[in-house]
Amino acid sequence: MLLLQLLVNGLQLGAIYALTAVGFSLIFGATKIFHVAHGAAFTIAGYLFWWGVATVHLPWPVAALLATVAAVVFGLMMERVVYRPIQRHEASFFTVFIAAFGVQIIVQNLIGMIFGRSFVSVTTSLSRSVEVLPGLFIAPVAVISILVALAFFTVLTLYLARTHMGMAMRALSENPDLVRVFGLDPARVSQYAFAIGSAIVVPGAILTSMTAGLNPAIGAHVMLISLAATIVGGIGSLRGAAYGGMLLGLAENLALWILDPQWSEAVTFVVLFLFIIFKPSGFLGRPLGAK
Amino acid sequence: MWAYVINLAVLISINAILAVTLNFILGYAGIFSIAHALFFGVGAYTATFVAMKFGAGFLTATAAGMALAALISLALALPALRVRGEYFVAASLGLQMLAITIFTEWKSVTGGIGGLTNIPAAKFFGFELSQPGHYLILSLICLGLVLLIMRALVRSSFGRSLKAIRDDETAAWAYGKNVAVIKTTAVVVSSALAAVAGSLYAFYLSFINVESFVLETSIQLMAMVIIGGTATLVGPLIGTVLILLLPAALSYLPYLPVTEIGSIQQIAYGLAMVLLMIYRPGGLWGFQETPKSREGGSP
Repeated sequence: MLLLQLLVNGLQLGAIYALTAVGFSLIFGATKIFHVAHGAAFTIAGYLFWWGVATVHLPWPVAALLATVAAVVFGLMMERVVYRPIQRHEASFFTVFIAAFGVQIIVQNLIGMIFGRSFVSVTTSLSRSVEVLPGLFIAPVAVISILVALAFFTVLTLYLARTHMGMAMRALSENPDLVRVFGLDPARVSQYAFAIGSAIVVPGAILTSMTAGLNPAIGAHVMLISLAATIVGGIGSLRGAAYGGMLLGLAENLALWILDPQWSEAVTFVVLFLFIIFKPSGFLGRPLGAK
Repeated sequence: MWAYVINLAVLISINAILAVTLNFILGYAGIFSIAHALFFGVGAYTATFVAMKFGAGFLTATAAGMALAALISLALALPALRVRGEYFVAASLGLQMLAITIFTEWKSVTGGIGGLTNIPAAKFFGFELSQPGHYLILSLICLGLVLLIMRALVRSSFGRSLKAIRDDETAAWAYGKNVAVIKTTAVVVSSALAAVAGSLYAFYLSFINVESFVLETSIQLMAMVIIGGTATLVGPLIGTVLILLLPAALSYLPYLPVTEIGSIQQIAYGLAMVLLMIYRPGGLWGFQETPKSREGGSP
């Protein structure tokens, strides 16, 4: 029964990881920007939702809308104010990485100064666990997490496959020059990628605020998980990122079967390290050519 | 006042050793490691262990740390040989996070979160280093030696091969360079010398815990190298001094609330990273855009 319980917890966590990883992967796929400040968008969205619901007592859809607007504005600002100026001078990916990490540090400390440095969480009746089978506790929020992840992923897949902008985004990841020849502005397509990629962290942030809770440093953790999931799943594949997130969530929880909880993060990074050594293209990515 | 200045100078020298050794793989070999704090930690814990268990002097303890760091660095060399760019960054990140867990959880050796206290003073041929001034001299000597080694390596044919690999690995390989051996050697040398800083740090503070060897440390070291200027000998030194003096300077500013000073320092440091990357990506001392890259730059 413990195994089943861990499996359920793993699915719930995996769903949240999958959502954030898909956002990261979408941005990376379309723009080739290693957006390590992705975790900062998550932190901002989570804290604004918490502040809206717990402090100002807004109805939750309003708070969720507030969080979404903040995450999207943050993503767009990053593209406009940080990444685009850096990319003007043929910067290596590492320059982008350092700048994004700087933003991550700034956001983490600003959030800590404004909202305090301790753990916060939104208490709802949804996060109360119910004993479904003897010894198996499931909270409604677990089911909601999985359903929300599936719904968002389906909508995103349809968007990328069917709409004009979705196709442009996929085209941008293949060949930016051709996108320009086709008469589309790559900068505009990038902005859409940032807006959608940042918006999709919001459900994950809200669900985390209702389950594990938030702290100002959570952004770094989210960023590491998204990055790991993207690589494990295969860079450039959204489905891969989603599976990668799910796999890491499951691995982190199933590891509890034999290991103490403090080792769970180490498990994630051992999985990542082994993938990079033995199968760097991930399980759904395209094979890496020698550059 | 003097004690404060000496303390800052010792910490700057120790961090400068780390920045210079990181620059060796980052700037000259193009290996973007964010696991440098791992080797700093291995050096510190090993030196402490050897000194506390066997009463070893500074040289023996440091040598032990260097040996172990060199061995562990093979785990970093492996992904460096197989993948590049973002993939290598992610692999080194994985190692760094793993190391943090081990530093925290291997309580019998590392003392867990609480760390190790009462580390004996460093012994050097029977002479006990008890004054902070002694450590300043020792750190400066170590920094000087590390700089000399780096300078010699960079100017040798080994250094030229390294730069060739950084600029075009395939071409270097086609030219008959043994890429695997050269890259591995670079990683091993850099990591072993980083362990020297760890040993100095442990003996100087006589207290270490995992907080000093976390991801943030690796990022800070990387920022020192990048802000100062990669692939130069002076750049990392400038970066180290700037990054370590920034918090000191900020704490003298009036009107700042005392409880928020740590956060404000962090924000200033994050802001410096962002602004420098936007306006001076080559670092303060490093080479700026060459005429050639400017020509090819605009679409």
